Amino acid sequence: MRTRIATVAAIVVAAWVLPYGLGSYTIHIVNIALIYALLAIGMGLAMGISGQINLAQVAFFGVGAYSVAILTTHYGYGFWAAALLAVLATVVIGLFVGIPALRMQSHYLGIVTLGLALGFINWITNAHISGGADGISGVPGPTLPGIDLSSEYLYYYLEAVVFGLALVFGLFVVRTSLGRRLRAMRDDSLAAGAMGAEIPLLRMTAFLLASLYGGLAGVLYSGLIRYVAPETFSIANMFILLAMVIIGGRRSLVGCVVGAIGLTLVREWLSDFSTYAQLGYGVVVVLMVVFAPTGLAGVPARLRGVYERRRGRESARAELRPFTPYSPIERHDTADVLLTVEGVTKQFRGLRALNEVSLAVNEGEIRGIVGPNGSGKTTLFNVISGFYRATAGTVRFAGSDTTTARPYVLSLAGLSRTFQNLRLFGQLTVRENILVALDRSRTHTIWQYAVWQPGVWAHERRLRAQADEVLERFGLGDFADADPTALPYGIQRRIEIARAMAARPRLLLLDEPAAGLNGEEVQQLIRIVRSIRDSGTTVILIEHNMGLVMSLCEKVTVLSSGNVIAEGTPQQVVTAPEVIEAYLGESDLAELGMDTPEAADQPDRAKEATS
Amino acid sequence: MKVITGTTAECLSVQELSVHYGGVQAVSSIDFTVEPGQSVGIIGANGAGKTSTLKALMGLVPRSNGSIRLGDKDLTRVRARDMVRHGIGYVPEGRHVFPGLTVEKNLLLGAYSRAWDKDTHRQLEEIYTLFPVLKDMRERLAGAMSGGQQQMLAIGRALMTRPRLLVLDEPSMGLSPKLVGNILDVLLRLREEGLSLLLVEQNAKLTFGVTSHCIVMENGQVAMRGTSTQLSHDPRVREVYLGL
Amino acid sequence: MQDTLQTLVSGLSLGAVYALVAMGFSLVYRTMGLVNFAHADIAMIGAYAASTFYLTAKLPFAVAMVTAIVVTGAIGLVIERVLRPLENKDFDLMLIGTIGFGIVLQAVAILIWGTTGRAVPSPLHAAPLDIFGIRVRTYDLLVMAVAAIAVVALAFFLSRTKRGAAMQAVAMDHEAATAVGINVGRSNALAFAIGAGLAALAGGLVGPMLYVDASLGGALGIKGFAAAMLGGFGSIQGAVVGGVAIGVLDSYAAGHFQGYSVLVTFLVFTVAIMIRPTGIFGERTVSRA
Repeated sequence: MRTRIATVAAIVVAAWVLPYGLGSYTIHIVNIALIYALLAIGMGLAMGISGQINLAQVAFFGVGAYSVAILTTHYGYGFWAAALLAVLATVVIGLFVGIPALRMQSHYLGIVTLGLALGFINWITNAHISGGADGISGVPGPTLPGIDLSSEYLYYYLEAVVFGLALVFGLFVVRTSLGRRLRAMRDDSLAAGAMGAEIPLLRMTAFLLASLYGGLAGVLYSGLIRYVAPETFSIANMFILLAMVIIGGRRSLVGCVVGAIGLTLVREWLSDFSTYAQLGYGVVVVLMVVFAPTGLAGVPARLRGVYERRRGRESARAELRPFTPYSPIERHDTADVLLTVEGVTKQFRGLRALNEVSLAVNEGEIRGIVGPNGSGKTTLFNVISGFYRATAGTVRFAGSDTTTARPYVLSLAGLSRTFQNLRLFGQLTVRENILVALDRSRTHTIWQYAVWQPGVWAHERRLRAQADEVLERFGLGDFADADPTALPYGIQRRIEIARAMAARPRLLLLDEPAAGLNGEEVQQLIRIVRSIRDSGTTVILIEHNMGLVMSLCEKVTVLSSGNVIAEGTPQQVVTAPEVIEAYLGESDLAELGMDTPEAADQPDRAKEATS
Repeated sequence: MKVITGTTAECLSVQELSVHYGGVQAVSSIDFTVEPGQSVGIIGANGAGKTSTLKALMGLVPRSNGSIRLGDKDLTRVRARDMVRHGIGYVPEGRHVFPGLTVEKNLLLGAYSRAWDKDTHRQLEEIYTLFPVLKDMRERLAGAMSGGQQQMLAIGRALMTRPRLLVLDEPSMGLSPKLVGNILDVLLRLREEGLSLLLVEQNAKLTFGVTSHCIVMENGQVAMRGTSTQLSHDPRVREVYLGL
Repeated sequence: MQDTLQTLVSGLSLGAVYALVAMGFSLVYRTMGLVNFAHADIAMIGAYAASTFYLTAKLPFAVAMVTAIVVTGAIGLVIERVLRPLENKDFDLMLIGTIGFGIVLQAVAILIWGTTGRAVPSPLHAAPLDIFGIRVRTYDLLVMAVAAIAVVALAFFLSRTKRGAAMQAVAMDHEAATAVGINVGRSNALAFAIGAGLAALAGGLVGPMLYVDASLGGALGIKGFAAAMLGGFGSIQGAVVGGVAIGVLDSYAAGHFQGYSVLVTFLVFTVAIMIRPTGIFGERTVSRA
């Protein structure tokens, strides 16, 4: 902590004395570099942190710069009033450009945003109000009483303050609730939705942040250069900006800043060889993408990794500790129905995955869903948790109709789930994975970030304390800061359950929780699931391991080819002729002498299902 | 009529096969052989490492250790795409037909490593004899077929590669009992014709019905091995995998 | 009415070029799952190369075109080889990698051909035809004819040849394709080379219609991408329909909004794609949990 304060102090002092050592041209370059750094932070927030491919950042820059120029020269506004309106205008445009992100992602979004940026360039080059290809000159600079901001030295301090605040705010966002949700969305938007993150709102937030930084950079640019023209906001510059972010490291704001400042300086230094320089950036971007996808910011971590591997890891061995049971609550005798699935059909192209499936689960129950591979079990979970919309039928959860509810709505209503093929957030630590689910605040409370940051901090500290509790309870304390994807399978499964429980659900859906676990781990799992139920959470689990189902579940629903073929206690289900048929098939197998119907009176017949 | 013409079986021997994903060991040092004309099964629960074993055998996932021989050829360093030229046909888990191509194109692609000539079309007719349903649907897109038909197509496609050894990964997955019965008939017929089979299954009953020898996998290791008859009467296997 | 038809006709020839760009783009996307942002710049290199062989080396137009296609096909092979480690892995990184290649290609174009650009005269000197009062330039007809031939040839290759079937198979399931003995890497390289060749064809054809300079790729490419998206990513017929749609939209916007045509085109495009993100022939993919 002390070294960190010292570092920050050193940087502040260095920033303070910097102009004293620089010539007037150099300080101009530094001023430009800071503007690009602001732009790069915005880009990093949208692309690196939130995973939204935004190729319109240079247009946001342009909207900010042009708004100031137009408002001051055409409408006689003062610089500061124009600046405020310009930032607002940029954010409005940013939200508009972000709307497509609600419907499409990845390259689709890249092409649409790039197209809109091209449209913007087209407009400024042709519109009368923006001065056409000549641009607008004679933009009045900002004034402050007693300070002559027309001096580039003094303007530097203005920029440095704005930049410093913007960077700190950016880092604050990234490291607290909002940024964590954005990063979770980037890593796996489906899982993030299932943990209660309001994906549409978060996507808009990413564009809001990107345009906010773009607008600020545009305002500063107008005030510094006092002249705006279309070529500054060209697609070529957009790609240079992209190169800055990629080379610096898109997932680290500091990396983005380093990339932006570094590349601006290099570009200036090579200004006589600008084409060769461009060739160079292109080559470096390609090499970075192939060999160092985390950019310069990722280099220290990679080096550390290599170093540790060389030395052979000697760190204290982390171990998975036993689960600490929840304190049980008293159970009511009259259990209410918590979940009702009624006549649900799910049709994919040419395939009816679920056919009029109905079931009802009572509060406090542990329900097993079994069936051969491909019988529709996971599809049923996806319909219940809002990932798929049922083709027909209704789902009711906790008394309300949730047939068409989105996953985040269901999560906030108290439904939580795990995934068959582990969907942990790969770039978040184990603790952060838990924190995403723990955080039950709605995304619209992000207004706090604008006006009451201490409130955000207080909330954050409470969450962290709770996260440590969850980690301890599940015996994961040693792995709190680990990268989840590097951990053994059994531990990852445990983390998924811990994450799902961190959301304090009323209903927990477990999709094959025992897959890939060894005997001892299965026993631990049984204890965990029992304790979860005793704490008042209803559990539905999909399982192949029939032993687990037999010993855990009070009631079992059997699916086959999308139909419910039996329901009842495990003992009832395994003796049902339909189940034996589904699992054993026709006489061909019976002829093999391994199966005789007389054995049907044995309750253990249930284990047919494991075949 | 014999449906798999011009093939002679050879002995597959796999030694010390291991697979790691990241730091996690999915398969640790597995040995097994498939004698000419023999059918061998691998059973085990989800996540036991069965599919990883097959994929490593086929070269579809990197092996961290192990050697593979077929007859007198060493296939350890042969790439996945060349396995088929050495006589190993593969039916992947979940069928993996080419959904946007017609049934016939799917089958023809099985013969990709040879010229498409008269001989290929004769073989196509043989496959249609084995699976009449494919003939009726030859111009339909594979993606529009039912799961059982896709499974037939996947097996047909693998047979078109002229395998000496057919490797099947969970052919019963997602199929109704009747269709599992059909698959069983087909596999028994192929076995009668002298094709070597390596079958990975969750469905222990199907496996014991088709194979002469079996391996039981647990946690990436061989937990048990023996003849299928022995294993199907072994109390532990009966309890865990057959539920008897 | 006359005006509308005239707009339609002039939109069609540019639309044919967009369709070619979109087709190459779609082919690469469909076989490798790679969104090639350098595609536009490959088209630009193709335009320059064709014009150089035609104007400077004085080769016949057709020969110049073929040479340009071969050159750019080779560039395509290089790009595919460099980015191969990322195939089927990180989609967004691959996308950024191709943007990096685009930056490189633009710099190379400026180094070789300078910044001034050039106008390419039409290789056909026949007077425009007058069909029911609509003026149709003969070169426009040539462009449409060549584009149509390219579409038919590509469709034939994909549906009737072994290699074409294999290329589609790789696109649908690369693991199963490997298991039947298809060399996925080589198939992808071929797809990339064909895609680049189509880009060069588009670039070469558009030379006499537009001014050839380093920014040509930007103008041509983004509309080609838009065409591919509008038609449905990865679909060949979609590329054709999308290309013509964007061409006509473009021509209409140019007629009615003059300088603002690009803005109008992309606003309309954005709204259209918002309404139907999968495009006209796009397949609705199921997101699996």
